[in-house]
Amino acid sequence: MALTIEESKSGEETVVGVLGEVDLYTSPQLRTAILKAVPAADGGVAVDLSGVGYIDSSGVATLVEGLRSARKHGKTFTLVAPSRAVLQVLELTRLDQVFEVR
Amino acid sequence: MDKHREYNDVRLIVRSDPRFLGSIRSLVRAWLEACEVAEDVVDTVVLAIDEACSNAIRHAYEGRCDETLEIRLHENEEHLEFQVCDQGAPCPPECMERRPPQRPTENDLKPGGLGVPLMREIFDDVRFSPVATGGNCVIMRLKKKD
Repeated sequence: MALTIEESKSGEETVVGVLGEVDLYTSPQLRTAILKAVPAADGGVAVDLSGVGYIDSSGVATLVEGLRSARKHGKTFTLVAPSRAVLQVLELTRLDQVFEVR
Repeated sequence: MDKHREYNDVRLIVRSDPRFLGSIRSLVRAWLEACEVAEDVVDTVVLAIDEACSNAIRHAYEGRCDETLEIRLHENEEHLEFQVCDQGAPCPPECMERRPPQRPTENDLKPGGLGVPLMREIFDDVRFSPVATGGNCVIMRLKKKD
C-alpha cells in the first residue's frame, strides 16, 4: 500500500500533501519527497497530514529530519492539520511541542 | 471469561518484509477487537506491535526482507500478551534501557531511537529476551482493565 504524495505551491510555501499510512515500508517515500522539497522551496515547506490514517516512529523520524533540513537551509517547516493518528504519535514520542503546527 | 476466549490465540509467521506491516497491523487490530479492548487502547497497541516488528527488521535483520518474524498474541484472565520474535542479531544494549520517552531540547533533536520508549510507554511490561537458538523475543504485556 503506497503513499500518495502530492506537491503544490501556495504563495512562498511548498505544500506536501500526504495521503495513506506511513510506516517502515512507506516512510522512505515521504523522506525522499520532503528532503527534495525543503532545499527547493522558496520560503518553506508545509506538510499536510490531514489524510494520514496511520504513522509510526519511522514516519515521525522523517518529519524530524525534514525539520532539521529546513533549519539548515533557513526555511520554515510546518505541519498542517495533523490527523488524530499523527497527534497521538507526536504526543507519545514527546515531539508534540517540537513542530510548528497549524 | 467466555469459554471461546480460551482458544483466542494467534500465531503468525511472516517474512521480514516491511510491505507486510500493514497486514500485520490489520490482524492485530482484529484480534484486539475480538478481545473487546477499548478503541483508544487498540490504536496504541497496534502501533507498539508495529514498532516491535519494524525494530526486528531494521536492527536484528539489518533490513533483510527474506527472514522470518513470528508474532504471537495470547490472552489470559489477567493479561494480553504479545510476542515478536526474530532469528537475527542480538538486540543492542540500549534496547534494555528502561527509559520513558524524553522531551528533546532544541539541540538534541534526533530522528532515531523513538520506537522502544514508545513501546515502554504503551505497555505495562516490556522485556527483551535473547533466544537460546539465536534471535530475540520482545514480550509485551498489557493488564486487563476490570
